[in-house]
Amino acid sequence: MKSKTNQVIIIYIVISMFVAIVSHKLLAQYISDPNHQFYIFTKDILFIFLTGIIFKLILSKNDNRNISIFKKLKNTNDEIKESNEKYDIVAKATSDTIWDWKIQEDSFSWNKGIENVFGYTENEVGNSSKWWFDKIHPEDSIKMSIRLYSFIEQKTENWQDQYRFKCANNSYKYVLDRGFLLKDENGKAIRMIGAIQDITKQKEEEQRLKLLETVFTQSKDSIIITEANSFDGKIPNVIYANPAFFSMSGYEFEEISGRSADPFNSPNSDRNELEKLLSSIKNKQECLIETISLNKKREEYWVRFSMIPIYNSENELSHWISIQRDITDEKKQEKEKEQLIRELTQNNKDLKQFSYITSHNLRAPLSNLTGLLNLLEDIPVENQELKEILNGFNKSTHLLNDTINDLVKVIIIKDNPSIQKEAVLIKEIFENVFSQLNFQIELYKPIIKLNFEKVSIININKAYIESILLNLLTNAIKYKSESRKLKITITTREIDNTVVLIFTDNGIGIDLERNKDKVFGLYQRFHNYPDSKGLGLYLVKSQVETMGGTIEIESEVNKGTTFTLTFKNKQ
Amino acid sequence: MLDQILCIDDDPITLMLCKKVIVKSSFSNEIITAQNGEEALSYFNTMRYAKNKSNEQPQLIFLDLNMPVMGGWEFLDYFNSPEFSEFNTIKVVVLSSTIDPEDLEKAKQYPMVIDFLSKPITRSMLEYLKNKME
Repeated sequence: MKSKTNQVIIIYIVISMFVAIVSHKLLAQYISDPNHQFYIFTKDILFIFLTGIIFKLILSKNDNRNISIFKKLKNTNDEIKESNEKYDIVAKATSDTIWDWKIQEDSFSWNKGIENVFGYTENEVGNSSKWWFDKIHPEDSIKMSIRLYSFIEQKTENWQDQYRFKCANNSYKYVLDRGFLLKDENGKAIRMIGAIQDITKQKEEEQRLKLLETVFTQSKDSIIITEANSFDGKIPNVIYANPAFFSMSGYEFEEISGRSADPFNSPNSDRNELEKLLSSIKNKQECLIETISLNKKREEYWVRFSMIPIYNSENELSHWISIQRDITDEKKQEKEKEQLIRELTQNNKDLKQFSYITSHNLRAPLSNLTGLLNLLEDIPVENQELKEILNGFNKSTHLLNDTINDLVKVIIIKDNPSIQKEAVLIKEIFENVFSQLNFQIELYKPIIKLNFEKVSIININKAYIESILLNLLTNAIKYKSESRKLKITITTREIDNTVVLIFTDNGIGIDLERNKDKVFGLYQRFHNYPDSKGLGLYLVKSQVETMGGTIEIESEVNKGTTFTLTFKNKQ
Repeated sequence: MLDQILCIDDDPITLMLCKKVIVKSSFSNEIITAQNGEEALSYFNTMRYAKNKSNEQPQLIFLDLNMPVMGGWEFLDYFNSPEFSEFNTIKVVVLSSTIDPEDLEKAKQYPMVIDFLSKPITRSMLEYLKNKME
């Protein structure tokens, strides 16, 4: 540019010089005075140079101004370019969807966000404000448009609103829409530009938190949140408490906020529990206590009180949560229950004592009778009638004695809820039982089949199992069929951890359809036999159950009876 | 055969039965009876202060538990005390109709009680005791 100025100047000077020289030559033909000629020529040349220099000054000044203007323009241009680029980058980077609404023409344009965030394709996106309004959830649309138009009318600078915006797949997203107005020189709103932010996640989180908050606000249990640190070894100060706490304690939030809500405020509060709680707080450990507490009206109530330490992500104690429940009714019931148990235990003890005394008082005269009858055995009785009478007397006395002895056994079993068990050889038990029944076995010669190959040792109380088998065998002999030879089969088997003893006879059986419920009952007799007392099976069942076992019966009239006894083999 | 035996029981029939069975089985020469613990203790007291010390003392006591005035346990408590130490060689057999297992356990606490037997007294019972005491 500068060189051009110089060029112009040089051309000007050259042309001027040429004109000056030409005019000087022409003049020289008319003017003969060489001095004069030279003088004029010199003057012209000077003039040309001077004007040339002035010219140059003016031009170069102009030039400089032009350069600075050009520079400024260039900068502005660069800035605009950069700004556009920035906008593009931001528009691309932001998750916001940006819209531009020329209000007068109702022309609406969207950036890529409408595709990326809401899933619309380019063709689906409308170019008027109607399309926008149509996508707003019907429940939000009226409220939103009222607010929007009142904003446009009032022509304030900024506007924002939350609503649900429909996506391409017909689901809705919660959005935060923020916009600003552009006005013409008359202050008329001509254009509005907005940015829609997808806040579905925040909204859902908000709703989730609201839902979680209902636990705190609606819980029937009192919930208190306290500071992490306690002062002077007290319970830490309350930060927050839920409505249930206020209704339980009667205090208002202002009355306990920032203070230590001490449940041990009654003279009847449990000091040991307080120590327990304080030491847990000191050691930052979870704790559960129960104590009597006073509400605001100074009424006592029982409270179950837990303190749970809460740690933040840095594993520092951030606060405590205390959950409390009024357990006054529970405590009352517990007390009543305890009282009831005490009474029942006492009653039971009294009854037990009563049964022992009764049996003693029955047994004392009965033993005299037996003793006296024993003495009679050595005295010969001549009178036949007297002999018969004494015989009947003897039989009845012994039957009574047996009954009393069985009852006594029942009392002792019932009084002994758990009985000592030992490993016993099954064979040995049967040897003992058979020797006791030697007389009857010799008399009726039953076929007895024993199969103890599978299990030979059983963990049981020896006296009880002998009594059980004695009873079952006596029953089998007593209730044998007259028409066939008595056959008894006894088998043992091991199933899982239990030993099963199966006792089968081919006797007259019991009608179980009629007597199912009564078969193991006290004083239940199913056959009219003179010496049956209805005690045997009751005693058997009692003894089996005392040893932790079970007994089951299967029977068919005139076919036979099977008893299945099951015992746990391990302790 | 023992020389002297003491039966303590409030029931006269039981005492009668005892006497008869003891005589029949020739278990003891002499049978003394007392109706309760107190009567038995006073018998021992008389014996203690009697001038004639040569008077023999019973070798065995049959003791009932449930008696009016002073029962068997109370009697044993006194009889076990130092006051009656001069009789501590006398053996006691509890003869009762009780079935309370606690009674059986309790009887084991007295060193002089050698057995706990169930009524009625029989000849075979006496045979058994005879063997046991030998």
